[in-house]
Amino acid sequence: MSLLAGAAPAAPPRPGRAVRRLTAGSQDRTWVSALAFLLVAEVVYFSVTVSGFWGGGTGMLSLSEQFLDIGLIALGETLVILAGEIDLSAGAMSSLVGIVMAELWQQGLNIWVATALALLVGALGGALNGLLVTRFGIDSLLVTLATQFILSSVATALGGGSPPYGFPKSFVNLAGTGTIGPVPYQLIAFAVIATVTGLGVSRTRYGRGLVLTGYNRAAARYSGTNVRRTLLWSFIASGFLAGLSGVMVSGFYNAARDDIGDSLLLPAITVVVLGGVDIFGGRGRVLGVVVATFVLGLLTQGLLVAGDSSLTATMVTGIVLVMCLVLKIMLNRRSGASLRQLLARRFGPMTRPPPTRLGGETTS
Amino acid sequence: MSALPAPLDASPPALVGARARFASNALRHREVQLLLAILLVGGVSTALHPNFGSASNISFMLADSVTTMVLAVSQTVVILGRGIDLSVAPVLGIAAIGVGFPAQDHHLNILLALLFVLLIGAALGVGNGFLVAVVGIPPIITTLATLTIYGGLQFIFTSGQEVISIPTSYGNLGSADVVPGVPWLLVIGAAVVAGAYFMLTRTVPGRSIYAIGNNSDAAFRAGLPVRRVIFATYVISGTLAGLAGLIYLCHTGSADATSGTDSNLNLTSIAAALIGGTTLRGGRGNPVGGALGAVFLSVALTAMVFARIPPIWEPAGVGVLILLAVIAGGEGTHVRKMLQSAGGARR
Repeated sequence: MSLLAGAAPAAPPRPGRAVRRLTAGSQDRTWVSALAFLLVAEVVYFSVTVSGFWGGGTGMLSLSEQFLDIGLIALGETLVILAGEIDLSAGAMSSLVGIVMAELWQQGLNIWVATALALLVGALGGALNGLLVTRFGIDSLLVTLATQFILSSVATALGGGSPPYGFPKSFVNLAGTGTIGPVPYQLIAFAVIATVTGLGVSRTRYGRGLVLTGYNRAAARYSGTNVRRTLLWSFIASGFLAGLSGVMVSGFYNAARDDIGDSLLLPAITVVVLGGVDIFGGRGRVLGVVVATFVLGLLTQGLLVAGDSSLTATMVTGIVLVMCLVLKIMLNRRSGASLRQLLARRFGPMTRPPPTRLGGETTS
Repeated sequence: MSALPAPLDASPPALVGARARFASNALRHREVQLLLAILLVGGVSTALHPNFGSASNISFMLADSVTTMVLAVSQTVVILGRGIDLSVAPVLGIAAIGVGFPAQDHHLNILLALLFVLLIGAALGVGNGFLVAVVGIPPIITTLATLTIYGGLQFIFTSGQEVISIPTSYGNLGSADVVPGVPWLLVIGAAVVAGAYFMLTRTVPGRSIYAIGNNSDAAFRAGLPVRRVIFATYVISGTLAGLAGLIYLCHTGSADATSGTDSNLNLTSIAAALIGGTTLRGGRGNPVGGALGAVFLSVALTAMVFARIPPIWEPAGVGVLILLAVIAGGEGTHVRKMLQSAGGARR
């Protein structure tokens, strides 16, 4: 992705990489708190203005089923983007896995076996992307642009005129619309997967290597990270999670859909970027992506419940994205201080200067 | 002839060598490769289905490729400066409905329409250019966001209506041929390509796009107005996308809330530019390649239709072509190494 660094070299002098690096961790945390604040404001706003949004707290929970598929794709995409690559094929992969699962089931396979096999297809598809990127050295944007086209064709062809529908009740319940009390199964699954992903990125050797790979590939190589394997596994994870979202979509609609996956890709990337992950890799927190999933998801759903069209809702998400990024960049530019430092300088008492110890900084 | 001295006898092999070298040098150019590929696909398809080579079909394929062709040129300009423009599709759509309604209801003069689409496109391009070059948001994110914003605007502007009939002056432009097999639209497309080619290769601003795409730091230090040039690439891209909107309107005779975005024109235009030899790393490629890439896509996809391959496989065809083009261009570092070790003696 570094090749898309296009834009223009930022004219105002910026502190050296190492210095920015030291303040990065706290900046990222501040970004997540800002997002959380936005989320709360949004929930309050919609609860007051839109009837049926709050629903005693449970209406909102069931609304989450409408956007957790985006969140799942975003989690996988986060891993790929953190490593400095991008996966444009995740949306098509979501469709394909949903269709493969449904077709296998229609061939008489047990639905859970079919799901497992279809998820394997997702992981294998991710591996194909990863191998094309790592073994052939082709840009991930190109590879996944191509595989996106191919996968969506395969999905449509497999699905045929009318893709299978009417899955067993247990499947629809667990993968789709079922709830424990007011909490949808989907939300629980998402929470578990998000936790695993977040801890995996911030607490495991693999995760540290992943972020380092995105930050500075040469440094990653010299410090003993197997860059190729790290990239390969990030694509496999992305394919798998995209597949899982496809299974969820199938369960939710109780029908395999080959037309939904493609429309999930751009919102997912939007969520990742809004979550504070650097599109060029090497910086970002999974928690930010999770919060951003809800910020964008509830925003869209709130607008839809209020009666706006889906295109208007999408437009609003675009505007929110731009405004957040403009804000972030403006704040970052001012002498490279973090949002908290700026606010402190403006409103608070004098604070200690940022710690200047070397190493041990947190990014994710 | 028998009197000719012996030394001349030595020249024919040398000449053959020079010709072979010329041929192999020419073959390294993506434009030549694409022309050959177009002729090959066209020739094989004509041999199998005589109708493929008919003037009307050729005209259809060429006219069909012009929208993508113009968009490919706008992508090329942006990608050369290391950017990318995912918002060309809704810009096209807004331009198409922006003049489509006045044309349908008030018979807007087509020259005025041309002016309007260029202005609309330029204005939307300014939005992208501002966010990328002034604010400093990475191009892929900027245009991803404006893709949704412009898409929403397009929807709002239509307010549920659609353009279903256009005046004959528009329709004629969209469907008439100069001579059988050469549609008027192609003339417009060729003019755009030629203009862009001239601008990019023969003028200072054009050359600076290449310089910035190759190494923006070096370009900045050499005193090039990096931000201004990058800004300009997005305005050019938007303007051309606006023009593509008018072409789309004339060619299809309709426009609605999802024109452009529904037919995947964003990715197809990027695909055409990449197939045409433009590299995402910037600084390499030219609009002629992108235009030929668009024609090649159109010919190849029509050939698939003639070969009775269901249209759902069209995207897969595009995907395979992208991969082939990338591998043929040796863009992958490992591919290049493999080719070099396999080619052995080749320098």
